[in-house]
Amino acid sequence: MTERRHTFWRDIVKYRTLLFMISPAVLLILLFSYVPMAGIVIAFKQFDYKGGIFGSPWIGFDNFKFFFQSGDAWRVTRNTALYNIGFMVLGNVLQIASAILLFEVGGKWFRKLMQSALFLPYFISWVVVGSIAYNFFSYDVGTINSVLTSFGMERIDIYNTPSYWPYILLFFHTWKFLGYGTVMYLAAITAIDTEMYEAAEIDGANVFQRIMKVTVPNLAPTFIILMLLAVGNIFRGDFGMFYNMVGSNGMLFSATDVIDTFVFRLLMDTNDFGMSSAAGVYQSVLGFVTILTVNYAVRKYDKDRALF
Amino acid sequence: MMKKKWGLALTSVLAASLILGACGNNGGNNEAASNNAGNKNGNASSSPAADDKIDTSEAVKLKMIMLGPKPADYDQVFGEINKQLQEKVNATVDAEFLDWSDWGQKYPLKFAAGEDFDLIYTSNWAQYNQQALKGGFLELTDDLLEKYMPQTWAAMPKVKWDQARINGKVYMVPGNQSTEFTDKLVLYRGDLLEKYKLQPIDSPETYKAYLEAVAKNEKGITPYGLEASDSKTHNLDKQLLLQKNGWNMLGDVPLAYKVDDPKGQVFNMYDTPEFKDLLAYYKELADNGGWSRNALTNKGDTTGDFKAGKVASMSHNISALGGIMAFVNNEHPEWKPTLADLSPDSKKSEAISTQNGIAVHATSKNAERALMVVDLLQNDKTLHDLIMYGIAGTHYEPVGDNQFTKVVDKFGNYNTFSNWAWNSPLNRVDTTFPQAAQDIQKKWGTQVYHYPLETFVFDNSKVLNEITNVGNVMLRYGVPLEYGLIPDTAKGLDTLQKQLKAAGIDKIHAELQSQIDAFLANQANKG
Repeated sequence: MTERRHTFWRDIVKYRTLLFMISPAVLLILLFSYVPMAGIVIAFKQFDYKGGIFGSPWIGFDNFKFFFQSGDAWRVTRNTALYNIGFMVLGNVLQIASAILLFEVGGKWFRKLMQSALFLPYFISWVVVGSIAYNFFSYDVGTINSVLTSFGMERIDIYNTPSYWPYILLFFHTWKFLGYGTVMYLAAITAIDTEMYEAAEIDGANVFQRIMKVTVPNLAPTFIILMLLAVGNIFRGDFGMFYNMVGSNGMLFSATDVIDTFVFRLLMDTNDFGMSSAAGVYQSVLGFVTILTVNYAVRKYDKDRALF
Repeated sequence: MMKKKWGLALTSVLAASLILGACGNNGGNNEAASNNAGNKNGNASSSPAADDKIDTSEAVKLKMIMLGPKPADYDQVFGEINKQLQEKVNATVDAEFLDWSDWGQKYPLKFAAGEDFDLIYTSNWAQYNQQALKGGFLELTDDLLEKYMPQTWAAMPKVKWDQARINGKVYMVPGNQSTEFTDKLVLYRGDLLEKYKLQPIDSPETYKAYLEAVAKNEKGITPYGLEASDSKTHNLDKQLLLQKNGWNMLGDVPLAYKVDDPKGQVFNMYDTPEFKDLLAYYKELADNGGWSRNALTNKGDTTGDFKAGKVASMSHNISALGGIMAFVNNEHPEWKPTLADLSPDSKKSEAISTQNGIAVHATSKNAERALMVVDLLQNDKTLHDLIMYGIAGTHYEPVGDNQFTKVVDKFGNYNTFSNWAWNSPLNRVDTTFPQAAQDIQKKWGTQVYHYPLETFVFDNSKVLNEITNVGNVMLRYGVPLEYGLIPDTAKGLDTLQKQLKAAGIDKIHAELQSQIDAFLANQANKG
């Protein structure tokens, strides 16, 4: 007992510089992620100003009712997960591909230029992207329909046809985050020991063999970590995107509703804090369970690659 | 080697920013309300000054929250206002503005976060009932009002206070304006009407003929421009369904009663033959291009489009349309903008006093002084002119005692926010407000209909789950149907009705009816 305490203090003294360096990050997480967790109680309360967060009366699971009573809970939860899986898989595959391509093509200037060009969409807000999309897809004045009619073809009614929208959303999301992910993977590729490439070359590997046998396996840890992080948020829809692309267009809800937009719409007028917190808790619990499960699976497969 | 280290560092930084970003999202919901618990005992009404003389020796700074964007000339005008207020009641006002785009979300947060402010704009459309019921506003007792707002107390008719009562208590100082109509009408282009030799518009049929003629012949002009694309009913429902049939719809659910029904029998609008006929009307209009097929995703600004000649007609209330008409008369008199009431013989509704008002925050530390300031802003001629119109000679030109002319390019630098809270008999009339609009107001004045349920307020706390879901059904199944986007109208209506049932419309119906019955019984007892 005394022995262990002894080493604990000794460790603290020994690593004081490192511990000091990590303290701002720990503080930040504590302050912004752990302290607010107490607010979860709002989800189980009839919130009023007099009582505040802790003094308001308890009402159990009543705040959750509106969500499940709608009959749409399953549909929007499924939509959210499917969209996020789509974004994750397509996004990461394309990001890795473009990172490898950029790495393989020579020319420092060309690489930098491409990198910046790919990164640019990341900085365009969804509000603007929504307007750009409107100018493409609008029935009367949209670019696509103008081109179609000039070739003597029929106009297509994109804003009233739900079946186009999964592809449209997938496209815009991938387009927006391609540059961001590419830079991340490019950094990971540059971190691969160049000796491996030299060895591969001496052994007579061609470009494809080099990519498949050296680059891709070395990217796997980065890929798995990013996936695990993304999985934790799989039940959180990107509200900015869905809301700005679709808005309150009821025609498209069947294909485009995610938990976030659905809950926003339901509570837009009632402004009930308890109910919105309930929706947040629902998402968090689902995300928590998913990440535990996936992490467990990864650990089974390869202990070193799990998050925790 | 060096290269490798940097790569690793960059990867970890980017990954870390992802994690932090995610955490930020989690926190957002909960942290807003975290420091409310502390200061709830600042109810100032409990300590009135001992003698009758009000002690204003201590200078106070009041914080006031208004809706709308911050005026460009805020410093100039509020500097002048504060100079006067300082002199008269030893107080200054510091205003904060919640922009139109997101006030709905920010407004309740101001209360929930326990922010320190004294005055806030409120209205029956700006969460007056909700926040009052949640305890956000200070109750204004007769004693408080009489003591700290003597001028308002004298000037305001008693009925206006009564209309602002929630469960018998007053929580706002309502605007004191004699008439303001809630009815809507349409604005259209007279030149196009003449061009196609159409009948003057005074009914749904003549309006339809106009829209269809424009759709057919005027390429590049949208016949009808939407007021708002996120409303839960068709923008024209107010005129073609409610005003035409003399119905009043309650809140955001499709339940209505006939205004002249003494029993206040509630019915579902979507189940009526009137609605069915209207759907056929809408469907035909939609198929003939009466409005854009993108109506539901409309990203345009209809007022701007009308002024630019890209939209041939729009709907709104009379003061808004009157303003647009004045603008167009100035810029493009050849368009001959004309107002039309689509149901000229129907009963007209006057706004009740809660249409505009100002409330004191429940935790305000300077409630007395806040009331004194409101008293002056509403009833002191100089201060009223300042808060309503800006600085004479800069933002407006006074014409006599009760009229004014806007200084065209300056008026907008001040008049951007909800200063309607101080509407009063001291209001000046805009000399450029079109005569046609004034005539309509005069005519409507003779058609105003008062009914017992006018001031009824639905307390929806017992059926909140159902209300949220019904709203969603209206948006998802009702609005597309009304805009004629569902090919089979009959089937669409059937789906809508079924979904409404599933969402619990019957429960809301029963609750609403019982509250109305109780309200009417209570009134009968009083009378």
